[in-house]
Amino acid sequence: MIRKTLLLMILGVSSLIFSLGAWAAPSVIKIGTLYAGSGNFSQASTRQYAGLQFWADQVNAKGGVYVKAYGKRIPVKLIAYNDQSSTTLAASLYNRLITQDRVHILIADYGSVLTSVAIPLAREHRILLFDETGTSGKFFRPADKNRYIVLTGLPTSSEWPKVLANFMRKLGIQRVAILYAANDWSGSQANTLKSTLKKLGADVVFFESVPDSTSSYSTILHRIAEAKPEAVAEFGYSNNDVAFLQDYASSGLYFPMLFVPNPALHFEVVRKAVGNAAMRYVYSYVAPPLIRYNREVTHGPTLDAFEAAYTKSGGRNIDLSTVAGYNTGLIVQHALAKAAKYTQESMRTAIDAFSGKIFTLDGLFKVNHEGAQIGESLPVGQILPTPSGLKLQAVFPVESAAAKYVYPQPRKP
Amino acid sequence: MSLFEYAVLAGLFYGLYFALVGVGLNLIFGVMRIINLAHGDFLMLGAYGAFYIYHLLGWNPLWAIPIELVVFLGLGLPLYYLLVPRLQKSGDPEMLSFILFFGLSQVIEALAVFAFGNDQRSIPTSVFGGAPIHIAGQIYPSSWVVSAAVALIGIVLIYLYLYHTRAGRATRAIMTERSEAVVTGISVHRVSAVAFGIGIASAALAGIFSPFMFGAIEPSMGLGITVTSFVIIVIGSLGNPLGTVLGGILYGEALMLMQTFLTSWSEMFPYVLLILILLVKPSGLLGKAVRSA
Repeated sequence: MIRKTLLLMILGVSSLIFSLGAWAAPSVIKIGTLYAGSGNFSQASTRQYAGLQFWADQVNAKGGVYVKAYGKRIPVKLIAYNDQSSTTLAASLYNRLITQDRVHILIADYGSVLTSVAIPLAREHRILLFDETGTSGKFFRPADKNRYIVLTGLPTSSEWPKVLANFMRKLGIQRVAILYAANDWSGSQANTLKSTLKKLGADVVFFESVPDSTSSYSTILHRIAEAKPEAVAEFGYSNNDVAFLQDYASSGLYFPMLFVPNPALHFEVVRKAVGNAAMRYVYSYVAPPLIRYNREVTHGPTLDAFEAAYTKSGGRNIDLSTVAGYNTGLIVQHALAKAAKYTQESMRTAIDAFSGKIFTLDGLFKVNHEGAQIGESLPVGQILPTPSGLKLQAVFPVESAAAKYVYPQPRKP
Repeated sequence: MSLFEYAVLAGLFYGLYFALVGVGLNLIFGVMRIINLAHGDFLMLGAYGAFYIYHLLGWNPLWAIPIELVVFLGLGLPLYYLLVPRLQKSGDPEMLSFILFFGLSQVIEALAVFAFGNDQRSIPTSVFGGAPIHIAGQIYPSSWVVSAAVALIGIVLIYLYLYHTRAGRATRAIMTERSEAVVTGISVHRVSAVAFGIGIASAALAGIFSPFMFGAIEPSMGLGITVTSFVIIVIGSLGNPLGTVLGGILYGEALMLMQTFLTSWSEMFPYVLLILILLVKPSGLLGKAVRSA
């Protein structure tokens, strides 16, 4: 009898110790991420990382993030490695974050290319991947049944050009040329634009891809001109856009409408690279911070407040990447504040629960079952001259328009 | 004039520029038998020099030409004495130079990120007047024509140096047979140092026009340019500066014709060309049957 009681007591104490250990709050929330310190993605990636760092500094100044599972604030610790824009290195570093650093939160690097290698790893290790700007539609296929990914900002890239296609048809444009760099992000936009235009009755008179590293577009522009398009849409990374706009400006060719995506993402970077003359009247998407969400924001600072605080802290001017990095921090923060348990599955459930109900400086946060962002949309904008210089302004759809479009664009003097 | 003819002339402009990009790398290899894997990084530094001369001082980037020639020639001389003689004392200077200059390339890139940031930069093409140039009924960017013209002048000057000056003849003697050049009393190190300086300065000269030829510049652009330069000089013939001109033009033509008719394959084709040429003529188009390294 005494032996049995003793055994029960030992078992009871052991289970109590075990359960206390399991529920003991960590001293820090380890957040693992990568950034590209060099290479093709460095300019956007470092800005995105700076936005995330700024969020981490802000929450740590208040004692950390509130974690509902423990009912208290816990400081966050960012663990970040430089993947040098290399997917091979990124794969190994994501693995290191998961298996050696044992991070609680995993955040992907900038863009689809550097995010792609994190997805299978996150799924294998059952850790939720916070995808900041990897918008390739391939990441969110229902057939994959992957619940370990959430796109925190921007819709999937295959959704982006739908508004553009409608705008082109509204202008009465019949002949469209589409040129794209051979990567997921650009290809999915090009394919969507092509299929949407065809549905709307337009003719795609030129549709070709170029290698990502293309730095000279002069001969390609002449080929496009042979097809006599009324509008030309070029999809690529910022290096492609810069080279394309530079070569168009010096080609002597004229197209009534020219669309490139990257001024929406890094307006100042592209403007400084190609100069005002080459940017004038070019069309692009419009995304935060060019769309300024202030009154609508229900969670976190307004865009104006964020910009003021960020620049005051010594940060550079903000762009979409900076906003995306900071916004990811806000979504992580909200997931931790709402998740009943401190587990990956519980965070995912919490995200589903608040999806569509919070509005951040980046727009409405709403994800579908696969984790794809469906709350935000990208209006079409045009780079127009203003008294203070060039400005990318929303021109379509009407409810988002901040200025009247100029079509056809004036010929360059 | 058809698209084909447009592409051929565009390929000539592009090729002449790339001949200038590669000629310095080949000169250094020909004289010293070392591979300067930091070649593209010196080009990148030259590009930033032009960028800042334009954006900070408001000068036309063409002013960067005399400034950078002096600066980079001056940089090349001490760099030669710091690195190359030690390399040549080793058992395998060619292989060791790969490693050393790769390290130098990484250091330059890292320092450039600190100094210039990661953002892409460029110079508006309008600095050369903006209006495109009409040639044979077609329109070409003025920046391409200016770049090709300066490249041609640069290559001609290097040719005149090599074939019509005493130092140039000494340089060629070292390229032909280093040990015999030593016996004949040629100051090998002095001549080599000048060649090294010219090699680096020619890279910087090419860098001045890179914002127009590559669209934009960034600190990490160097390695890709070094690889392209290497392809060009291998096509032409390692160690033969004239071969580089041929290699550059072939590269430019291949790229532009492919961009015109098979756009998606354009970046790959020059490398296919390289493989074909190496299979048919392993020493390069202007190479001797046997290269003694």
